[in-house]
Amino acid sequence: MGNILIVAEIQKGKIREATLEMAAIAQKLAGPLGKEVKSVVLGKDIGAAAEELSKKGGGEVFAADHELLANYNVDAFTQATRTAIEAAGADLILVSNTPSGWDFAPRLAAGLDAGFVSDCFNIEEEGGKPVFVRRVFNGKLDARLLPQTDVVVATVQPGATAAFEGATDGKVTNLDAGIDAAAVRAKFIETKVAESKGVDLTKADIIVSGGRGVGAPEKFTETIQPLADALGGAMGASRPVVDAGWLPHEYQVGSSGQVVTPKLYIACGISGAIQHLVGMKASNFIVAINKDGDAPIFEVADVGVVGDLFEVVPALTKAISEAKGG
Amino acid sequence: MKIMVCLKQVPHQDARLDVRSDGTWIQEDNIKFEINSYDTYALEEALRVKDSGEAEVVVVSIGPDRVSQALRTALGMGADRAIHVNDAEAENSDALGIAKILASIAKEENPDLIMTGLMSDDGNFSAVGAMLAELVGIPHTTAVMKVEHTDSGLKLERELEGGALEVVELPRPCLIAVQTGINQVRYASLKGIMAAKKKPIDVKTAGDLGLAGQIAPKMKIEKVYTPPKGDGAEMIEGSTDEVVAKLVSKIKELGLL
Ligand SMILES: Cc1cc2nc3c(=O)[nH]c(=O)nc-3n(C[C@H](O)[C@H](O)[C@H](O)COP(=O)(O)OP(=O)(O)OC[C@H]3O[C@@H](n4cnc5c(N)ncnc54)[C@H](O)[C@@H]3O)c2cc1C
Repeated sequence: MGNILIVAEIQKGKIREATLEMAAIAQKLAGPLGKEVKSVVLGKDIGAAAEELSKKGGGEVFAADHELLANYNVDAFTQATRTAIEAAGADLILVSNTPSGWDFAPRLAAGLDAGFVSDCFNIEEEGGKPVFVRRVFNGKLDARLLPQTDVVVATVQPGATAAFEGATDGKVTNLDAGIDAAAVRAKFIETKVAESKGVDLTKADIIVSGGRGVGAPEKFTETIQPLADALGGAMGASRPVVDAGWLPHEYQVGSSGQVVTPKLYIACGISGAIQHLVGMKASNFIVAINKDGDAPIFEVADVGVVGDLFEVVPALTKAISEAKGG
Repeated sequence: MKIMVCLKQVPHQDARLDVRSDGTWIQEDNIKFEINSYDTYALEEALRVKDSGEAEVVVVSIGPDRVSQALRTALGMGADRAIHVNDAEAENSDALGIAKILASIAKEENPDLIMTGLMSDDGNFSAVGAMLAELVGIPHTTAVMKVEHTDSGLKLERELEGGALEVVELPRPCLIAVQTGINQVRYASLKGIMAAKKKPIDVKTAGDLGLAGQIAPKMKIEKVYTPPKGDGAEMIEGSTDEVVAKLVSKIKELGLL
């Protein structure tokens, strides 16, 4: 029986919270699965980060320090992780479902001819084996998956579990990442930070957001914007609205848009996929208007209305204007 | 240049999702299907290369008979030819099995560029593209938001969190898994649809590709189910007037009116 290997992620020189969440999952599973927890930190000048992880549930931490790991690189990360899997004797490999994780984890699994499961919000133990729980259909259904093979690579959804609490006395072992530079074909050029444009939703107290359910660009002007105006708030949107070119990117709320925490967030015709939820679920008060009573958005909302947004929103706009005027 | 585009046909985004009787997937009879949204952006990106010069666009899809509809749509949009892998074993496979089938096609076709969507709207696994690249032995990048073709390869912008981007260069041949919003996807024109009727769809099985018995799933879906309801929202019911009155009083309570 092999061990668990956590592939750590560094953010601004420190261990990313999502890694400590995996440490919590790994520590919980280790006993029941009869495995030891080990970790690998990939990067350049990562000694302190590896030290930090060893004290926060990472177990024995392999520090793979290499020039070609300084920035995320799919080929170098895949190679170095394979070296770490060998060193750790791991058969359950945990990676965060982040832009780097979802990029190389499936590739790693294919190279190992291993089982692969992505974006798990939970990993349970049943009969001495791991069971992977995740969403499908953009959050509308859940699925439980059982491995049919010994080696499994799983990516874990950031924010789904609490980070490991407590102190452990793991150790740090330096690892020669064994990178064959000739086989590193991808070339990192630079990172471009998001440009801040006209609309800064993070400062708005009230946001009225529309999703794909709004159906057309003019409906934003006719239906969503007037409610935002009546409330003295800003307008936001889900990703498909921006993808379709109905609104510019600065209106997008979610993991690849803005993370907002207004006093009031009104979601109209938005289903509540996780990538949208991470951008707004910390809002103080959430109202969801959706014609589908099973839409996942209602799980994070404080108040929900099952109905047609084209009836509810204009009526609400009128009532707000009257309440303000009177 | 030859570009291979991998497409999946998935339940329509507004289709009713009922769990089927064995509990392991949804009931697929009598619902509408469409090309996975992410894959339409990949196809569009390939067609733009074709529009700007010499490129052959080959679309590949794995699935039952209904998939020929998706392939006809892709041909109608401008793809040159299609390969349809119609195989019962593939139906029960997983992302790695699908990637193995696509890899054996890629080895026959030898494309300069493979394009997939970042993920599928049904399983949301986000796995096939990167797996396929590994099996073919070519580099890849996912969540691609911008493609620039250079002499030796591609200069790509890949999406990170919060709107940040990473610029990466890959030599050809390579694979890119495209993110939604990279372009505005065309519709098939009437002329395109007519022309598509004459374009070939090559139908194959896993056996034809030498993969019979080799694509058993390594991860098995035990069950799919409606997520358990948590505390959830306080649901406001009644006529529109009643609902609105309650919402206004909630907003007043928040001190926002
Ligand atoms: C890497 C990555 C990053 C992403 N980043 C983001 C992000 O930053 N932000 C984001 O939002 N998404 C993001 N997504 C996309 C996300 O997965 C979902 O696809 C998206 O959030 C769905 O948007 P939606 O809810 O508007 O559309 P859908 O899921 O299609 O939902 C539309 C909803 O409208 C309802 N509806 C339709 N008509 C009406 C009506 N008349 N009245 C009331 N309700 C109606 C329907 O019942 C449905 O629930 C990302 C995905 C990936 C893979």
